[in-house]
Amino acid sequence: MKFDRRLLFHFDWTLLGMVLGLCLIGLVNIYSTGFSAAETGADPLYLKQAKWILLGLISMTVAFSVDYRFVHRYAYWIYGISVLALVAVLVLGYESRGSQRWLSLWGFRLQPSEFMKLAVIVALTKYFDDHRVSAPFGLRDLRMPFILILVPFLLILKQPDLGTALIIALLFASMAVCVGVRWSAFLSAFASGLLLIPVMWYFLKDYQRERIMTFFSPERDPLGSGYHIIQSIIAVGSGGFLGKGFLKGSQTQLKFLPEQQTDFVFSVFAEEWGFLGGLVLIVLFLSLILWGLKIALHSRDFPGMMITYGIILLIFWEVFINIGMVLGVLPVVGIPLPFLSYGGSSIVMLMTGVGLMMNVSMRRFALQP
Amino acid sequence: MARLQNRLDEHDPGVFRQRFKILFVIVASVLSILLLRLWYLQIIQGYELRLKSENNSVRLRKIKPLRGLILDARGTVLVDNQPSYDILFLPNRVKNVQEVIGRLEGLYAKKNLPLSADPFPVNGRPLPFVPVKLEKNVSWEKLAIVETASLELPGVYVDVVPVRQYLTGEMMAHVIGYVGEVSKEELEKDTTGLYGLGDPIGKYGIEKHLDPFVKGKYGAEQVEVNAFGKEVRVVGKIEPTSGYSVILTIDAHLQKTAWDALGRRPGSVVVMDPRDGAVLAMVSSPSFDPNLFNRGISHGKWEALSSHPLHPMENRAISGQYPPGSTYKMIVASAALQDGIITPETTFYCDGTFSLGNRTYRCWNKNGHGKISLHRALVSSCDVYFYNVGKLLGVDRLAWYAKSFGLGSGTGIDLPREKAGLIPTKAWKQSRMGEPWQAGETISISIGQGFNLVTPLQLATAYSAIANGGTIWRPYTIRRIERPDGRTHQTFSSEMRGKLPVAKENLDIVSYGLWGAVNEKGGTGSALKRKEEDVCGKTGTAQVVGLPDNDKARREKKLSAQFQDHALFVCFAPHKNPEIVVAVIVENAGHGGSVAAPVARKVIDAYFAQQKEKNRPQIAAAQATAESRGTN
Repeated sequence: MKFDRRLLFHFDWTLLGMVLGLCLIGLVNIYSTGFSAAETGADPLYLKQAKWILLGLISMTVAFSVDYRFVHRYAYWIYGISVLALVAVLVLGYESRGSQRWLSLWGFRLQPSEFMKLAVIVALTKYFDDHRVSAPFGLRDLRMPFILILVPFLLILKQPDLGTALIIALLFASMAVCVGVRWSAFLSAFASGLLLIPVMWYFLKDYQRERIMTFFSPERDPLGSGYHIIQSIIAVGSGGFLGKGFLKGSQTQLKFLPEQQTDFVFSVFAEEWGFLGGLVLIVLFLSLILWGLKIALHSRDFPGMMITYGIILLIFWEVFINIGMVLGVLPVVGIPLPFLSYGGSSIVMLMTGVGLMMNVSMRRFALQP
Repeated sequence: MARLQNRLDEHDPGVFRQRFKILFVIVASVLSILLLRLWYLQIIQGYELRLKSENNSVRLRKIKPLRGLILDARGTVLVDNQPSYDILFLPNRVKNVQEVIGRLEGLYAKKNLPLSADPFPVNGRPLPFVPVKLEKNVSWEKLAIVETASLELPGVYVDVVPVRQYLTGEMMAHVIGYVGEVSKEELEKDTTGLYGLGDPIGKYGIEKHLDPFVKGKYGAEQVEVNAFGKEVRVVGKIEPTSGYSVILTIDAHLQKTAWDALGRRPGSVVVMDPRDGAVLAMVSSPSFDPNLFNRGISHGKWEALSSHPLHPMENRAISGQYPPGSTYKMIVASAALQDGIITPETTFYCDGTFSLGNRTYRCWNKNGHGKISLHRALVSSCDVYFYNVGKLLGVDRLAWYAKSFGLGSGTGIDLPREKAGLIPTKAWKQSRMGEPWQAGETISISIGQGFNLVTPLQLATAYSAIANGGTIWRPYTIRRIERPDGRTHQTFSSEMRGKLPVAKENLDIVSYGLWGAVNEKGGTGSALKRKEEDVCGKTGTAQVVGLPDNDKARREKKLSAQFQDHALFVCFAPHKNPEIVVAVIVENAGHGGSVAAPVARKVIDAYFAQQKEKNRPQIAAAQATAESRGTN
């Protein structure tokens, strides 16, 4: 493929800047969570995260170098491989703390369900692109894409990973709404979704049910996830307007706060940097989303728009659910905060997604066939 | 929409512009809600929550559960829990652990008490509010010192840890097993997520097999601690759940009888109910004290146990593999009868020797038994008779029958580390040793010597099959698992593993022979002859090394104890409708009839005495009603 010099001229430096900014905030924050750990046997966590970010940058470079229409053409292949990886996880995956989510590959512990999120986006884009004729979609037209997401949805639920499965379902709903769904279809899907809740309830693991129940009444479980929420709220609230300062968050440093580096990373940030920090972070996310929507609008074709839209929505849902959970307005489901939570697969997946957005952005004027 | 279709490559986002605007408004307002919530928590509630975080703090403390009890078949408690005391230190502002240890040592020194011999390793910088274990399993004296000197030892407190108390000690160590601290490897292999660092976990026996049931579930409490690390009050508490109790099929009284009868000689006794495979007693000697492992065994004691030449940690009943000796003859007899090679009337002549090729094989009775049929051959355990039968039967046919008796493979008992034993065939020898089978080897095999290896449990299972008319049961030691509230969680019942391919009448012929061996004149098992319930049994004397070529070599070898023969005895009773099977092996002790049979006798006597005891109230009641009728 001939590389057009003009592409470099159109490279989206703003997007890169925003993402690097978020990654940097994440690194500093993870450094803080590991600061008071007594024993440092292996690499400290922030160094590991830095390595993953580097890997993510490489993956990002690959993702914006290859024309996204190439990705689009092979969307179903990407989807198929990701589903196979999910099956592999269930068969020979790495089990930890009661769920089986990881695959060991060349010494890396990968979480295929993270990459499934991107695969779902490109696969749905491909399907909607091929079947645009029938938009707005009726319920019947949504049958195929529904099956397309149902397979990974169930595989991920089996692991069990409620949070990721939820994200997959939300991606499907968001993307379908974007291409256009008839009101009737929308309403009946919503209604049947409501009806499915009792069925889903039946399939949930005990601890998952407990978490949901705990959300509605935290005093049910003052020792488990209720304790998490209480400590998280104390941590966030005690930050005040300016925060307690870097490395000075007592909730964090004295380890009152559980799951600091992963799901509850935002409370660490809010404790040490206060409302001001939280405001900056949320505005940064909002700008990223606005920027992404701009890219989507100005993309030169439908697939470019849908891929960008999907990735932006993915980031939005994760930010919303994670922060909502940490602030006690949503139930505790394990969803990481994009770019800030520790987790290799998540960061590489997100950087790859951003790479695709850059891809669409820089090729918006390109007039190659 | 139509326009959209026509311009596939250059799409017009006009339709989407509107949608994206709406979307952006939604996204912005959702994130604003989060910001509002953040404002509410950090600005409006900020002061309050800050105070909370400063005084706080509420800590989560796990409460250890009690492990489930283990009881015998009659409800006697075999394994209990008792408290053990650890001294812990909760670092807060004072982070110097060494200083605290120094003070503790000083206090101990006043009373001439040393710091624990195995001080708990304290490494790294202590985390605030994460307790450091200073000493475990401390004595009452030390406990008193720590409790009274609490002002001098800020942050030091006593933690009660429930530990196992094995009331039956060595006697049942192999069945019950023991508990130790969970190891790194076990944590890595664990998929249940139920185990944490420092938790007790079953390492052996029932404790290991049923660990997930017995271990119980942690409770927890939220404890508010003040700035000195002292507990102020308990905010919330979830009680721990005790582990499930286990009721065994083992009868502690029979177990003790067997253990005492063996009298610390190396060997094993297995007592089984032939009607369902329930194990009534399982003794392996020498043994070990499972209580040693409770709070971590010291290195020296572990070395002494694991390098002991008699392997006290091994459960000989299921992993000791011995040549079956003459106890094997009942299998040869059953096989030959069933294959029609012999009838009860078939006779062979025994002059004390048997020749094959240029080798001579002896009968244990140098003078020979004369003309002899199956019944008398079993009674007097004539070797020459079985040499002849074995030669006619052939090794592979014999192996086929032996395997149908459950030999050569694990019995499937609910205890870990069972061995399979060995039943040789021609193919086995070819593949294992690369040599063809020798005809002479069949001769050794037919009296249970040579390559044959069985475990005492396999012998008990095989004899149970003779006793019960042909059923091979899976032996089991766990009768029931009970929840802490007394409800039954799971009941284990007998499980049939196979049927003997031998007709009932042939089994009857064999068991009559075994009856004769105990009750007839010249029988090898006369030690078991009782007035009441008839016993059927078979002696065995298993040579430790292969048949020596001449008497001189044999005599020389006898000098050293480790080359002495193993004494075996397997029996069941009563003759009609047997209720109990006893398999005894005493290592390097000589003849089965004189050494092993008396052990079996004690067990059999104890069993029937106990049965009588059980029936007495009924008999008395029956007599009472009869008498009262008489007076009427």
